[in-house]
This record gives sequence, C-alpha cells and structure tokens, in this order.
Amino acid sequence: MRILLDKFSKSFGTTKVIEGMDLEVGSGEMLALLGPSGCGKSTTLFAICGIHRPTSGRILFGDKDVTGLPSQERNVGVVFQSYALYPHMTVAENIGFPLTVRRLAAADIRKEVAEIAALVHIDNLLDRRPSQLSGGQQQRVALARALIRRPDVLLLDEPLANLDAKLRLEMRSEIRRLQKETGITAILVTHDQVEAMSMCDRIAIMKAGEIVQIATPSGMYNDPRSAFVAGFLGNPPISFLKGRAEQGAFVFANGIRLSLAILGGIPDGTVLTLGVRPEHFGTSGDIAVDGKIAFAETQGRENLYDVILPDGSVLRSIQSVRNDVAVGDAVRWSLDSKAALVFAEDGRRL
Amino acid sequence: MRTSRTLGLIMIAPAAIMILLFFLMPVVLTAVFSLTNMSTATGISGGAYQVTQAAVNRLTTDMPELAAAISEPRFVIDGEGVAALEALQLKPHFATELRSEHLGEVFASRREAERVIKALKDRPSTREVKRISDLFNRSVLNTRFETREALLESLRKLGFDLTPEEQEAVAKATYTGWVWTADNFRIIGNSPDMAQVFLNTAFYVAVTLLLFNVGYALFLAVTTHYMTASTASIFRAVWLLPRITPVVIYILMWKWLTWDNGFLSLFMGQFGYPAKNYLLDNARDAWFFVILLNGFIGASMGMLVFSSAIKAIPETQFHASEMDGASRWQQIRYIILPQLRWPILFVTCYQTLSLLASFNEILLSTRGGPGRATEVWSLAAYHTALQNYTGNLEYGLGAAMALVLVVIGVILSLIYLRVFRYDTLISKPLIED
Repeated sequence: MRILLDKFSKSFGTTKVIEGMDLEVGSGEMLALLGPSGCGKSTTLFAICGIHRPTSGRILFGDKDVTGLPSQERNVGVVFQSYALYPHMTVAENIGFPLTVRRLAAADIRKEVAEIAALVHIDNLLDRRPSQLSGGQQQRVALARALIRRPDVLLLDEPLANLDAKLRLEMRSEIRRLQKETGITAILVTHDQVEAMSMCDRIAIMKAGEIVQIATPSGMYNDPRSAFVAGFLGNPPISFLKGRAEQGAFVFANGIRLSLAILGGIPDGTVLTLGVRPEHFGTSGDIAVDGKIAFAETQGRENLYDVILPDGSVLRSIQSVRNDVAVGDAVRWSLDSKAALVFAEDGRRL
Repeated sequence: MRTSRTLGLIMIAPAAIMILLFFLMPVVLTAVFSLTNMSTATGISGGAYQVTQAAVNRLTTDMPELAAAISEPRFVIDGEGVAALEALQLKPHFATELRSEHLGEVFASRREAERVIKALKDRPSTREVKRISDLFNRSVLNTRFETREALLESLRKLGFDLTPEEQEAVAKATYTGWVWTADNFRIIGNSPDMAQVFLNTAFYVAVTLLLFNVGYALFLAVTTHYMTASTASIFRAVWLLPRITPVVIYILMWKWLTWDNGFLSLFMGQFGYPAKNYLLDNARDAWFFVILLNGFIGASMGMLVFSSAIKAIPETQFHASEMDGASRWQQIRYIILPQLRWPILFVTCYQTLSLLASFNEILLSTRGGPGRATEVWSLAAYHTALQNYTGNLEYGLGAAMALVLVVIGVILSLIYLRVFRYDTLISKPLIED
C-alpha cells in the first residue's frame, strides 16, 4: 500500500523537528530513511505509525487519510530498535499478541503463529521467553509479531542496531527476503548507509528534518546531489579536497594544479570541493597525483591507504592487496578524473 | 580477614542489641506471658495462699467433700485457746481440766465440742459453754498464708489429714499469684466472643485490602499512568495526604464529618433526616467508615509502589502494544498487570500484616463499637491486656491473642508466597532491555 506524507510537520513544544516534508513510498516498495542522529527520521517513523501526531500536514495510506487515526486502527507493523518484546510472555504469546487482542480463537492464533514462525525460522523456540533468546532470535520474534496480522505497512526502526556484525549481515538479507515474499510496503529507519543501500529499493537521505535526496542506492551513490549525501554514502567514505577553479584546472591552496576536464565552464576563482571515492584513486586513472602513504589498513581482499598530498589534504585509495608499498613510502598514483565529483562552497553538486 | 570480621561484629553490635532488646525480647516475652494467667488480680510477681469463698468454690468442682469440710468451722482444744480461757477469769478449773484432759483434741462441729465442755467437772452454765467454745473455734476460711507450708501446717492442725493430691488441689485453689497454664489458648479456641472478633478481623482485613490497599491503589496507579505528568502528580499528592496527616487529626476530621452535629448530619438535615452519629449508629455504618478511613491511608502506599513499577516498564512496550492493536484496557490487562505481579505480592503481603497489627485508627474512631461490632483482633488484645472496663487486665490472655496474630501473619505470608509463585519471581529477571 502506498504511503504518502503531505506537507508533514512535527514540532515538540517550540522545537521544530520536521517542517513541510513530502514523501511518497510506492506500494510494495522498501524505502530507507537514512541520516545522522537527530535528523528526524525516527520522528517521521513514529508519526507514520501513530505514536506522534503530526503538528500539521497529512499522512495517507493508499487513498485513506490516517492522520487522525490512533495507532490501533492504522494496521501497521513496527519493529523497534529494542524489539519491545513482552518479557512475561512466551515467544508464541508475543507473536500471537496482535491476534489475541483481536479476540481470535486460540486454535486460529496457534495456527497463524506456527505459520509466521516458520517463515522467520523460529518455530522451534515458541515456548521460550524473550530473555532466553539471542539478539537475532529476539529480532525474528519482533518481525513475526509485526507481520502476523498482515499489516499494510511495515516500519523498521534501526532493527539491526543491537546485533553483532555477523547477525546483522544475516538479518539484512532475511528482512529483505520477508519483505519481498510478503510484498509489503516497508520503511527502514537507519543511520547505517550499508543497511540502507543493501536492503532498500530507494533511499531518502535526511538532514536536520529535511529530505536532501531520494534515489535508488546506486543512483544516489553515483549521482549525489550534495557533498553531504556523497559523504554519507560509501564505505570507506569519499575524500574531499579543497581548492579553487582556474582555467579548467583544480588548484590546491599551495598552488599545485590538477587539470580536470569536468571543470570546463566554471568561472576562475570559484572555491570548490573535489570529492574522490577511494576506488577512483589508485592504479588506474588519467591524472597522476604525488603523495605519501600515511596509513594502511588490510581488509583481507583489499587494502585501504590514506595518502597525504603535498598540501596536507588526504586522499583515500582502495586497491587489491599488494605488498610493494608501505606506510611512509612516496607514491605517484592515478586519479580517475571523470569519476571525481565537484561541489560548490555550499556543498551543492556542480 | 579475622580482624575485619571482628570489626564488622563490633560495628553491628549496637543495632544487634537494639533488635534484641526492642524486637526479639518483646516477642519472646509475649510468648512467655501467653503461657501464664497473669492479670491485674494475680499481679506479675509471686502470690500468697488465701482460703476465700471463691477458692473453696474452685475446690468444690474437684473435691466437694474436702471443700465443704474446709469451709466449715472446726473446734480445736489448743494452748492458745486455753490461755485465752484463763484470761477470761472464769472458774480456773475449766482451763486446767481442758489442758490436762483434752489438749489437742479436734471436733468437726460446735455440738461435739460443747458436749465435751459441758461435761467438765465444774459444770459450766450454758452461757459459759458458748463463751468457751467460741474461744476454740478454728477456721482457715478468710485467712491468708504466705507459703504453701504454712497453709498445709494450719490445715494439719485442724485435723485435715490430706493426701498429696488433696494438698496439691487445695494449694492450687487457694493460690492468688500467677501460674503457668495453656488455658489462654483454650479460651481463645472455645469462646464465641473470640470467634466473633476473629470474623470481624477477617472481614476488615479482606475488604480493606481488596477494595483499597490493592484495588484502589492499582486503579490510581493505572489511571495516573495515562495522565499527563503534572496532573498525575497532583492526584498522587492528594492521595498521599491521609498518610502524612497525623492520625489523631485525620480521625478527628472524620469525626467532624460523621458526628451528630457534623457535616453529614447537617447535610442530611437539609433533606429532613434527623441528625445522628453516622460513625456509631449501627454496625454497618461503623464498618463503612472504618474501612473507608483505613483504606484512604492504605491506598497511597500501593499507589506509589505500583506507579513506580509501571514506570519501570519500557515505554516501547506500550508503543508496541498499541501497534499490535491493543486498547487501553487490553494494555492494562496484558502488559501492565502481569508485570506488576511482584509489587502486588509485596503490597498485599505487607498490607495484610500491617492491617492485622494496626488498630490505632479504629481505637481512635469507634473504639471497637458500637458494642463490639468493629472490634478487631489486635484491638481486642489491647482491650484485654491493657485497657478494659472491668479493670482486670488479663496480660496472659492478651499476650496469647497477640501470639495468635503473629502465627496468622506468618501463615498468610507463606500462602501469598505460594500463590504468587515467589520462586519463579526471583529465579529469572522479569524486565530486561
């Protein structure tokens, strides 16, 4: 079911958290609300599920205006960061709770619980209590509870934040599998760009209560609208170089020039930020850059290097593992100038 | 290690001594007193042996003949009597003959004694016979002996040749001090008055606990949970007032409300009802107010305990249950109440004991009246042992009643622990995050 936020605003007292946000999530789509802490992404989620009432604006599920409806009548499933399982109930009672409060017959509840528990692979744990489960198992219980009454919308609030790295990887694909199998419209709130990129159809990146850009993961990665977006996506992150434009070249503060074809048409003297992703600096490229290796990190398949340029700024490079360079070596590596991103002084992409 | 342990003992010694003196000792002494018949009449130190009509009556049930014999006067020709006879300065031969011929003889009745006196050689007149026989009239009735030996010696002199059992029975019947006995518990077990007081107590504790100390406290805690913080704190503060008001003033205000010239009477007077004392006019009204005024005090504690327990439930559980479609009532039933099991156990247990033991509000308001309608066990124990209208304070019986209360309290606590499955409560953490 489609979700539409129309001029949605929310303030707490005099603090305006979100002002005039428009957002549309297509039916069956999974969208990530991505942003740093305090950007208003959880507030948006809580407004969609009904915990917070919008200060102004409308929230629509399909064509139905749910702005004034209490949570109980919105038919949304929510997975909270802390899972919010009921500690005094067994797993089966937790999962069946949405049906229990609808006064379904016990036998029907048992059947539905068994079905959904099989879907999330916890059918052998139904008699345990939440305190007897691991983090990943609790997560699956929370998912099952959110899905059992076939909600129109599934909302996930940092669902992977409390899991260890391996489980996180596993649950990432698990949640995506469930979302695809059930065909449910889902919104994932996260501050982790890897989660957002790997799990979602589209990403809405937020900053200080506003959506900065909405795009598919690859679209946003390759074509960020601002330095903020470029900096938020990508791991290891993009490196930024400060300088100015001069006759189609990028000039560092100490006068070193890089001639870049993409700077054609930008007036001389414009203050610029150049964004270079680690994979665009290294063994292949069209411009040679001199520098000194300040830091090297082995990631198994790849190595990550920090290279200090003569003006003191840093470029990151990720390359296949090699043993011929070490920290302290002077290197002359190539930069792929066509892939470099150019931003104006205010962060706008040029 | 050793020195630190010693130091610990020294540090705790003052508290230990206090507990021993003011907590354990009273309990032990209560148990000791409960096994005696101590009262104002017996005193708390030793007693004497006194042959009173009451003592004779007590003896009559077991040994009617002996009792009758003791209560009858006896006539003994003894040195004391003869000396008194000489002092009367009648014919000197009366005395000499009685001393030489009859000294030591004991007569069971006046008639037998006078027959001997009449037969004296100097032939006393009938008037003289009467005067002489009076001098030898010996009876233990209404005499007091400091020791058991003195009592038995005196009886022996009067010609009572008592078997050991008879000696025991007489000594027991005439003793005025306290003795060891389990009679108190027999009285408690058999007396219909005690049964009534017991039922009163059960009614009072059960109703106050259920309606107010737990029920109303839960209601307040849950409703204030759903209010905004400031409104909730006003409500909590209002319901704390009865507890923080000094009890005498608190009860006085209830009396102003219920007296025959109080607020209720004035108010009902507007509708033509005659003024009356609503607190004491009948048993039903008395109970109504006794439970109300105790409940208002008791509700606040449960309210505070339950409120903080509800606050301890993570807020996301409430959010989650709303998402799951639970109404407020379902939230209370499925989320709040199950997680309040431990606080409810605690409050129920604690308040049962405190309701069983406390009687000050009832003493100050109805004094157990009208009649003995609102007399509860602890108040009855107080009345029995420390303040009653007859003036005979029965310390022993009162102590026994107090002991029964302790036993009931312990039994009830054990039952509660069982009912609320205390073992499962402490074996696993209930709230985890």
